[in-house]
Amino acid sequence: MAKRHAPLTRIELLQGTLDLIILQSLRWGPRHGYGLLQIIRTMSNGVLQVDTGSLYPALHRLERQEWIEASWEQSENNQRVRVYRLTAAGRKQLAVERSKWEQFSTAIAGIFAAPPAEEV
Amino acid sequence: MSPEDRGARDDDLDAEIQSHLDMAAKERMARGESPEDAQAGARKEFGNVGIVKEVTRDMWGSGGVEQIWRELKYATRSLLRSPGFAAVAVITLALGIGANTAIFSVVNSVLLRPLAYPHPGELVLITSQFPTLGFDQFPVDAAEFLEFKERNHSFSNVGAYYASAVNVGAATNPARVPAALASASLFQTLGVSPEAGRWFTDQETLPNAPHVALLSDELWRSSFGGESSIVGQKVDIDGVQTQVVGIMPPGFDVHDQGVRLWLPLTLDPDSVNSYRGGHYLNLVGRLKPGISLATARVQLEPMLAQWTQIDGGTPNAAPGQKGFVHTPNVKTHRLRYDDLLTDIVGSAGRALWVLQAAVFLVLLIACANLANLLLMRAETKHKELVLRAALGAGRGRLARQFLAESLVLSVAGAALGLLVARWGLHALVLSGNAGIPRATRVGLDGHVLVYTLALALGTGILFGLAPMLRLNPRAMSLSLREAGSRTTAHASAARVRRGLVVAEMALAVTLLVGAGLLLRSFEKLTRVDSGFDRSQLVTFNIVLPAATYADSLRRVRFFEQLDEQLQQVPGVQSAAAMSGLPPRRQVDANDTRFEGYVAKPGIPPQNVDYYNYVTPNYFSTMRIPMVEGRSFGPVDGAASPPVVIVNQTLARLFYPGQSAIGHRLQPSGIADTAKWYTIIGVAKDVKQGGVDAKTGTELYMLGNQSPTYLGYAPRNMNLVVRSTLASDVLSPSIRRAVASLDPALPIVGLRSMDEVFEDSLARPRFLAQLLIIFAAVALALAAVGTYGVLAYSVAERRREIGIRMALGASEGGVLTLVLRQGMVLAVIGLVVGLGGALAVTRVVRSLLFGVEPTDPVTFAAVGLFMLGVALVACVVPARRATRVDPLVALRMD
Repeated sequence: MAKRHAPLTRIELLQGTLDLIILQSLRWGPRHGYGLLQIIRTMSNGVLQVDTGSLYPALHRLERQEWIEASWEQSENNQRVRVYRLTAAGRKQLAVERSKWEQFSTAIAGIFAAPPAEEV
Repeated sequence: MSPEDRGARDDDLDAEIQSHLDMAAKERMARGESPEDAQAGARKEFGNVGIVKEVTRDMWGSGGVEQIWRELKYATRSLLRSPGFAAVAVITLALGIGANTAIFSVVNSVLLRPLAYPHPGELVLITSQFPTLGFDQFPVDAAEFLEFKERNHSFSNVGAYYASAVNVGAATNPARVPAALASASLFQTLGVSPEAGRWFTDQETLPNAPHVALLSDELWRSSFGGESSIVGQKVDIDGVQTQVVGIMPPGFDVHDQGVRLWLPLTLDPDSVNSYRGGHYLNLVGRLKPGISLATARVQLEPMLAQWTQIDGGTPNAAPGQKGFVHTPNVKTHRLRYDDLLTDIVGSAGRALWVLQAAVFLVLLIACANLANLLLMRAETKHKELVLRAALGAGRGRLARQFLAESLVLSVAGAALGLLVARWGLHALVLSGNAGIPRATRVGLDGHVLVYTLALALGTGILFGLAPMLRLNPRAMSLSLREAGSRTTAHASAARVRRGLVVAEMALAVTLLVGAGLLLRSFEKLTRVDSGFDRSQLVTFNIVLPAATYADSLRRVRFFEQLDEQLQQVPGVQSAAAMSGLPPRRQVDANDTRFEGYVAKPGIPPQNVDYYNYVTPNYFSTMRIPMVEGRSFGPVDGAASPPVVIVNQTLARLFYPGQSAIGHRLQPSGIADTAKWYTIIGVAKDVKQGGVDAKTGTELYMLGNQSPTYLGYAPRNMNLVVRSTLASDVLSPSIRRAVASLDPALPIVGLRSMDEVFEDSLARPRFLAQLLIIFAAVALALAAVGTYGVLAYSVAERRREIGIRMALGASEGGVLTLVLRQGMVLAVIGLVVGLGGALAVTRVVRSLLFGVEPTDPVTFAAVGLFMLGVALVACVVPARRATRVDPLVALRMD
């Protein structure tokens, strides 16, 4: 087998976070599928690894929900690519997802940071 | 989303993924990989393109019909990739569904289709019962009919008829036609108007009324060219010029008698009351709206209780006692009411439901087999399934795919099954008379097609569910972790497969027991001693028209002359005539006086089941041995003292512990009470009512003595000819002999006596044959199922078997190992099946003859046979196991 990733550095995505990641990644401009994979890998320093088998179904689902829209464009190396960009609804959704995520991570952080009150 | 949109999106997705692969490859080439390596690497990194596409497409939303269509197309493609599997499945289903459809079309036409009258549910057949004589269903007397029609308050109308046959047409070439003599009220009761002309009027059913007739549509077309000018014209019926007053619509009939001609039932209201012993009418009543049959039965009971008193009798007087009037009463002469359709169907209903159940079991077994096949197929596709599930294809999606596959199979099977059913029905029709009523119009109609479609969907879902057992989430996650190695999920699938095999075996055993019981019944029926030598006998029937043979002496002379003519035909050893032909005789139940009879409990009433008027050489021609006394001889002429021969049953019943010879009796209808017939002989019992009926009491009288002593001679006689020649060889000479005496007489039912008896066993034979076929198919399917599961298990355990052999296990040891695995299943199936058979064979009890539903011989034979078949099915894979090469097996993955 090809050694693609060191197992220790790889984290499986939490259920539902892929949508948030895609929406967030599209905030800085339109991207095609391959580009999204690369940007997610780079931004997470290679820790988050998204499968093509998860990415494309997610993109098409978000498109159906009209949070993103797609169009065919020429890439910088003159290739026809399908490019996704955020819609207004997508921006709103991103805000909702983000605030949910922040609440969640604050809560988790709180749990870890809380002093062991009951412990003697 | 329309299919075109979907096609465009498919292209889009292809292009999108292709661009992804291109970009990935370019980046790899930029890192210095060769173009080939780069492309291969990009593809590898991407994963399974097909599955990614498929899961992505799922996100486009449920496209309704298009989605289902796509699913079906995908399923069809996937099935076509394994044509062997698909062919086996479709053929199995075609046979299973086809057989079910064929039997259901019979059930549908015979049992479910309502009778062809308006509001058929209101029609009731009214018959009588004589509990003390042991007659459960008997016709009704003419006076009783008129009284019932007038006195009851439950029926809006009541009609009467009796079936007969008449000679219709030209004097030289008449046709014998099934006819019914019907009251005018019968047509009103049935509520069907003639398609031309009119019904009979009440006046036309009075004595001395002009002769009129109604034609059936069938007779009108076949014998009168469908000319509507026939209405109003006169035709020759039994030698009488009779005016046709109407034509009944196609299919009009009563009680499935195949009536082609309707004549008025002549009843004289003034004289019917003088003799009340002629029970020959069948009554059909139409219930008043809103009155159910059960309500009517309750309402009619008081009428029955008062009947005798109204007619001036004493309610409790027994037959023969003072105050006894031969009218319906609560104790000895009850009336019976049956739903008309139920009565027509009779015992055929149970036979057909048994067949339907049997053929349904066959289909269940076929489904179990297919479920097993699909399970094994799912097993081989397991890794693909796990991958799809991991990529987010929901369980629903995967389940849909399995269902689509099984539905494609089952619908294809059903389509082919319809052809099988058509062919099967054709074969059933060709096999001719199966002894089933209403069977003439059996065919595939809308109801049958709906049934077939329901079967197709039902079976598809049923066996399509099996592979879903592989889809339970726990099994999925386990498989994912353990990369498809042998897991608990695997073991559970194997358990399901074994369970299915046990179920198949059990169902097949139950069917085999049922078929075995009916086969043994049929065999016993064919071995019943009919009481005479029926080989090398040819029989036919002649009815002398009442108009031209009004004189009874002329009738006697005709049959005597015919006897002589027939004796002279080359190849004929002897010939005789008789009024009653076994084995389908209806009981006559004639009141008969026995000299010195004392009414006592345990002594039967003075009534004889069958009277048979015969010519003198009857016993020698039929080869009925005399048990005691002598046969008729030349000394017994028309003028000599009246003599009678009785059968063993009558002698035993009325003269227990003594000889019947020399005793005297008086047949009914005798005018002079001083005339007694003397018993001169006791003949061996003949199965007049059929080989499966109990032997009735019987009297034989000489036809040539009856005009003298009874003032009567039968017009309807059956002739028997003993000859080594076949019936078709004899036929021309017989026709010539009859024509030389009277060219206007049609000959009916000319065939060998063996055929007559075979015909009487048509239904048991039909039932046994079909059940044997179904049971054989069931067993074959179960055997194939066992073989398949075992062979699969051997293939799966090759590694284990290889290790065992490498460690020194003998061939015998391996053989035993596999055989034991298969035979354990077979034995469990056998035990369950025999238990099931014990529980359900009770329902066929009424179809059995001379065999108990728990017949140990049948159960033992089925058990041994089934174990034998199972052993054969197990030996093949077991032997294959012994040929496993340990080295090869161990090298496998």
